Amino acid sequence: MQEIALKGFGEVLKTVTFRVRRYDPEKRELAKYMEYKVPVQMGMTVLDGILYIKEHLDHSVSARYSCRMGICGSCGMIINGKEQLACQTQILELNKDLIKVDPMGNYPIVKDLVPDLSKLFRNHGSVKPYIIREEEEPKSEFIQTPEQREEYAMFTDCILCGMCLSACPTNATDELYLGPQSLAQGYRYITDNRDMGFNERLNVLDSKHGVWRCHFSGACSEVCPKGVDPALGVQLLRQLLTSNSFVKYKQKEATKGPERKSVSGVS
Amino acid sequence: MTIENKKGWISWFNPFRYGTDRWMYSLHRLTGIILGFYLIAHVWETSHILDGPITWNSLMVFLDYPFGPHFGPFILSGVLLVAVYHALNGIRLTIVENGLMLPKPYRPEFPYRPKSLKGLNNVLKILLGVLMIIISAIGIYFIFTGVIL
Ligand code: SF4
Ligand code: FES
Repeated sequence: MQEIALKGFGEVLKTVTFRVRRYDPEKRELAKYMEYKVPVQMGMTVLDGILYIKEHLDHSVSARYSCRMGICGSCGMIINGKEQLACQTQILELNKDLIKVDPMGNYPIVKDLVPDLSKLFRNHGSVKPYIIREEEEPKSEFIQTPEQREEYAMFTDCILCGMCLSACPTNATDELYLGPQSLAQGYRYITDNRDMGFNERLNVLDSKHGVWRCHFSGACSEVCPKGVDPALGVQLLRQLLTSNSFVKYKQKEATKGPERKSVSGVS
Repeated sequence: MTIENKKGWISWFNPFRYGTDRWMYSLHRLTGIILGFYLIAHVWETSHILDGPITWNSLMVFLDYPFGPHFGPFILSGVLLVAVYHALNGIRLTIVENGLMLPKPYRPEFPYRPKSLKGLNNVLKILLGVLMIIISAIGIYFIFTGVIL
């Protein structure tokens, strides 16, 4: 078994063509495609292919990446027509001789494959992605049961790669749309029982470019590399807001643990 | 200096490489646009009744035989298919977009297949297909023969 798995390891199995979209801000030209021949070994990811191009063929190819293991969410790009993390996409598994690499859509491009994600971060910030409480400094812990955690836990897996906004067809035409990522995060904080900020987030989520713009095409969930299923979050948020207009939604207040005498000096 | 890279409305009709829901979204958009044009044409067509019976009758004959005999019923069948799909999918979307028949939040597990696009949502899609076949079969039979099954 082991020998089969290791067979072909380290040797060049085939040569694939990378067709990379290039845009150089200094050259004042439109984006164009350039082709590179890359020898592929077993285990090589698309990101490895791009780094091979950078090392051996063309030093000016630019891409964002950092962790190379699907954690940082930097390397999202459109590979053969679908948003994927370049560091998580095996070239051999694509099973194609031509690999078309585009930068993510719906973001301005800085250079080659580097998108400007500031829109994503701005939208993320606008839903106040933190726990909002009235009291200034809590005197005790908030109790949360494992079941209460399950209600939002899946949405905490988001790595902010921004691929859902690139796949979203609503986002393709509505510049101000919040996007699946932010809406799912809004739901995540509203359903957290420690949070009390439902009304503060309402004017952003329940707005013209907020949750009602989603048409549930499911593309965001389809491309999400962490299985966050943002489309589910958006629909559940919508359910919450719809029922809120009939019966006012009340956030479950977390029970407080025993009060601490003094918290100063502990940090 | 950055350049814009908006996918634009053309990407509404690019469902390739995504899932069934994305295909149904594209079809929903397409059928909606077709229905919009159809409604305008329909109002224009029926407005001819104001011009008296002769104009009206000749228009009816023309619409029945626009490009050769009995092309009209084919167009009408197309409109029926479009309307049935748009209506049924609209009902499905009303259900799922209100968070009904969707799973509760769950723990994502490798290989990360989204559950909101499966399960009962899939049952609804199959139901949509079955209903669509039955309704369009009855409707098209009626269009061509004038007999309700
Ligand atoms: S929800 Fe998924 S696709 Fe969207 S930013 Fe988070 S990890 Fe990326
Ligand atoms: S390099 Fe970090 S996710 Fe790909």
